[in-house]
Amino acid sequence: MQEFNFLQPENYREALNLLNEYHGKSKIIAGGTDLIVDLRKEKYTDLKYLIDISKLDELEYIKEDGEYIKIGSYTNHKSITKSDLVNKYAKILTLGCSEIGSPQIRNRGTIGGNIITGSPCADSVTPLVALNAIIVIESKEQKREVPIEEFYEGPYRPKIKANELLKEVYFKKLDNSYQGDFIKVKRRNAVSKARINIAALGKIDQAGKVFDIRLAPGSITPKPQRFKSVEELVKGREPDNEIIEKMGQKVAEIMIDKSGYRWSTEYKRPVIRDLTKRILKTVLEVE
Amino acid sequence: MQKIEINLTVNQRSYELKVKPNKRLLDVLRNDLNFTGVKEGCGIGECGACTVIMDGEIVNSCMVLAGQARDSEIITVEDLESENGLHPIQKAFIDAGAVQCGFCTPGMILSTLNLLKENSNPTRSEIKDGLEGNFCRCTGYKQIIDAVELAAEMMRD
Repeated sequence: MQEFNFLQPENYREALNLLNEYHGKSKIIAGGTDLIVDLRKEKYTDLKYLIDISKLDELEYIKEDGEYIKIGSYTNHKSITKSDLVNKYAKILTLGCSEIGSPQIRNRGTIGGNIITGSPCADSVTPLVALNAIIVIESKEQKREVPIEEFYEGPYRPKIKANELLKEVYFKKLDNSYQGDFIKVKRRNAVSKARINIAALGKIDQAGKVFDIRLAPGSITPKPQRFKSVEELVKGREPDNEIIEKMGQKVAEIMIDKSGYRWSTEYKRPVIRDLTKRILKTVLEVE
Repeated sequence: MQKIEINLTVNQRSYELKVKPNKRLLDVLRNDLNFTGVKEGCGIGECGACTVIMDGEIVNSCMVLAGQARDSEIITVEDLESENGLHPIQKAFIDAGAVQCGFCTPGMILSTLNLLKENSNPTRSEIKDGLEGNFCRCTGYKQIIDAVELAAEMMRD
């Protein structure tokens, strides 16, 4: 394992000060379930200081704030899966986080870490994209907020500066008129990364038309994103199998357009098409 | 690389140590404190052979830096045997023939301990979920699940 000095700030402010002082030479460690693997590979040549936030209670919370649910970056996946608030107002995040790794990983791995690692198949990020989540980033000097969809330049490339820390992620509570689902395809049942995952939310109005639809497929494009051009096909209309078929086809086309034709495309094309259809039937309540 | 000082409690006994910061909890437990029931398998958080209980939750000790374990309470498999003999989970693993090479057994047993703490009467499917982070490469999973059922029964009585 590569060498580094280990700094353990006593509070959040001190963590920001340390990041400022050592920026460019330091990294934050939270649950460590991704970072320690990279440290073993000696991946970070400029790393001199590791700043540990695992003792900062200030970053560990799930709370209701008016119409929002706010989650501190050092909140582990187990806490999220056990949270009544998340389960009630954002069930798709419960489903996503419960699919991550193993019990051991969920006890250590954090939502902030999952967002910052920036894997295109991150099981918490796909639901957060469907939830239109906002992430709060802070440095010693300033604080900014970014929609999660705009947070990535590409795979494993979050837009965060060396002196910035991810503080919180928040999203609007969903009322119970929303239907949501999360589906993950994996190579085996346990301790598995997603080959494909997909999160969706839908709301049908009283006239039976689609009031809101949010479709977020994961792992099939370099950056996590809602497929808004596909959503538009059904928005304001009465959903039926014909439209859903079209939407499935379109998602597969966009995947190839954005990610190129790859060795896995023959497999992924029909799978993402059918997963899209399956999840849309659930969230738009089509038989 | 400056050494760091850490206090930690392992199996109800407290220790003060000075360690290099790039040591993992796994290294400290095995090499500094000689709790060799903790095994290193994959080293990347997938196999669960290094499972320990840290502040009441199971973790992969290969995925925790020594400094992150500061002031924590750790339980390893060595803690389970008491004056009255083996723990019921250990007895159940023996009785059910759930040990082949034995390398995964300490991790399996600690995951079982926490599973049964949260759910004293798990179904076979809940047992599979509870132990999903522990791999057995002898693939003796059936006997391991039998052992957990047996342990649950013994501990309920």
